Amino acid sequence: MATLFAAAVLPGCGPDVHSSSVRGVGYVRLDEVVKHHPLYPQLAQLDDAIAAINLAASGPHVPLSAGQMQAQIKELNANLAAAQERANKIIAEKETRYAKLEAAAVAAALSAAGVSGAGQYAATQTSAESAQQAQAAAQAANQDFMSYQQSVIAQDNAAAAGIARQLQTQAAQKFRAKEEELQQNETDLSLRLTQQDATQRLAIKTRLSNLALDDATRSQLTQQLADLNAKEEKAISSQRNADQATLSAYQAQLNKETSAAIAAQTGSIGAQTRAKIEERHDEVSQQIRSLGPAPLPANLPPGVQAKIAAIHKRYQAQFQADAQGTVADYQATKADLDKQFEALHGADVGATGAAAKELDALQKRRADLYKQIGDQIKSETNRIAKDQGFTTVFVDITAAAGGYDMTNELIKDVESLHE
Amino acid sequence: MRIRHVSTIIATALLAFSFSPLAIAADAVDVGYLDQAELANLPQFVSANRELAGYKAQLDSQFASEMKGAATDADKQRIQLDFQQRLSDKQREVVGPLFTRAQLAVQQVSAAHNLSIVVDKRVVIYGGIDITKDVESLFLSSQAINPPVASPPPADIGFVDQTVLDSLPKVKAANDEMAQFAATQKQIFAPQMAAAGKDAAKQQQIYAQFQKTVNDKENELLKPLVDATKTATADVAKKKNLILVIDRADVLSGGMDITTDVQSELSK
Repeated sequence: MATLFAAAVLPGCGPDVHSSSVRGVGYVRLDEVVKHHPLYPQLAQLDDAIAAINLAASGPHVPLSAGQMQAQIKELNANLAAAQERANKIIAEKETRYAKLEAAAVAAALSAAGVSGAGQYAATQTSAESAQQAQAAAQAANQDFMSYQQSVIAQDNAAAAGIARQLQTQAAQKFRAKEEELQQNETDLSLRLTQQDATQRLAIKTRLSNLALDDATRSQLTQQLADLNAKEEKAISSQRNADQATLSAYQAQLNKETSAAIAAQTGSIGAQTRAKIEERHDEVSQQIRSLGPAPLPANLPPGVQAKIAAIHKRYQAQFQADAQGTVADYQATKADLDKQFEALHGADVGATGAAAKELDALQKRRADLYKQIGDQIKSETNRIAKDQGFTTVFVDITAAAGGYDMTNELIKDVESLHE
Repeated sequence: MRIRHVSTIIATALLAFSFSPLAIAADAVDVGYLDQAELANLPQFVSANRELAGYKAQLDSQFASEMKGAATDADKQRIQLDFQQRLSDKQREVVGPLFTRAQLAVQQVSAAHNLSIVVDKRVVIYGGIDITKDVESLFLSSQAINPPVASPPPADIGFVDQTVLDSLPKVKAANDEMAQFAATQKQIFAPQMAAAGKDAAKQQQIYAQFQKTVNDKENELLKPLVDATKTATADVAKKKNLILVIDRADVLSGGMDITTDVQSELSK
């Protein structure tokens, strides 16, 4: 009895889990424990790599030359076209596969219902043929829309590139004009200085041409002439340095203005393009919606008709679910290419292209690793909490007025995983 | 005789224990949790979220084009607010009814289990009562769900609304200054990162420098405020005999809201 009493009341080495301030509740400062996990250095490395890509992608973009822009736009358009073609091909294959499956299911349903001789006909009419016709028409409408979209985007890009080229040419002209203006100023200064010192220079030279001049005087006059030259050169050099600084600042200002002007103009072109595409998209959607399956033969009993309709609905749903992944892939590729288009026009859109792919892969690896670490910490927490009789253990708390902080115990535990 | 002696010791010890500040109290066994991620995977939520995502994608392109046409910062702010409003309206329309039903289901199940608080699964690492399946069944049933008649039992766990605390003038000013500082540092360091090209060592060095600059500023600007908020929250929690305080975002039902008290404590 005494032993029982001691076990029940004496706190021993562990925490007093059932005291009024703890009441069976523990908490863990998870971030701290994670930092002591043997896999933390790898996690930190991934975090740094992710943050570094984000940092590199967040910088201001230097405007490209018209030629560079044209080349990149061409490449992006080719990538977009390839993604569209790939998605269309996969969706068309899926459509055909589901149409065949549906046709077989309808044929089986008709035959099971004992519709004599109607199996082949119904299957062909309700599924294979009419569905294929509708699919072909929908595909054609989609293809037509995509071609339209592509041509409008190509026009947009050509117009944007043209504007960029024009603005860059204007900027280059302004820069050249400024350069010439400063060059002229320098020439004027040089001339002014020469004229200013001309009398003095002539006098020195005249005296120097006197053969009877003593060495000391000759040396003094030579020095005076050298000083005059040095003074002029210094004034010109100082002017040249100031002009160089003015030119650099002017170049930076022109770049900034050009980028802003390109972004504004291409933004407005982009808005018009999107409006045109949306309008056509609405038209095509309307057109596709009107392409329903061919009507079922009138002589079929209502029960069979309902069954065939249910089959159609089921395969339609299966096809849509299956196609969803392909559409999502295409949308992701398109979204990334759109971002690259925007980045070309000077917008800050974060990581794109190869950097975005790398970022995505790193984030997945990070999530997997963090889960692995988290699972291990959870399992250790469960063991300790169970041993010590806690009822609930929280993580990510805002503040503690009581409860038992299990963090240090867990840190020791996860650190022992090193050994 | 010996037995009586032991009993007396026990009685004295228990009596003494019951008056000491560390008296044995009832353990908090009325904490429930819900796996919100699992609930979000129910077909109703998936389809509502898909609809919302489609609407958002449509809004995003309109937003981008309107922002490009904005001449002043005031215009940009107006456009931003307008689009936020449109998205919230749509969210209310599409997800609102589902959310209300889920909320009622949580309250009903919580009342049935006599829980004082229900939190998101993410914040419970051990113990607690998982009510996810019960909530799902009730949510998916065709029956109407009414709010429970009785209010939840008194809670040992409190919560604060972090968004309210973040909007306190001094906290907001510090957060704004920090955001501005981080944005400026990005402008400075990003071109250096780009210039480092594929030189990983150089990139790492630049990034470490950037990180240190931002961390130092965070420690200078935000850490004192975070510490003060933590202390104020713990003080209020102690006065209210709460064990722990969590963020409101993790609480689905019940618990004790101490946001106003913490606000007052911080304003002293």
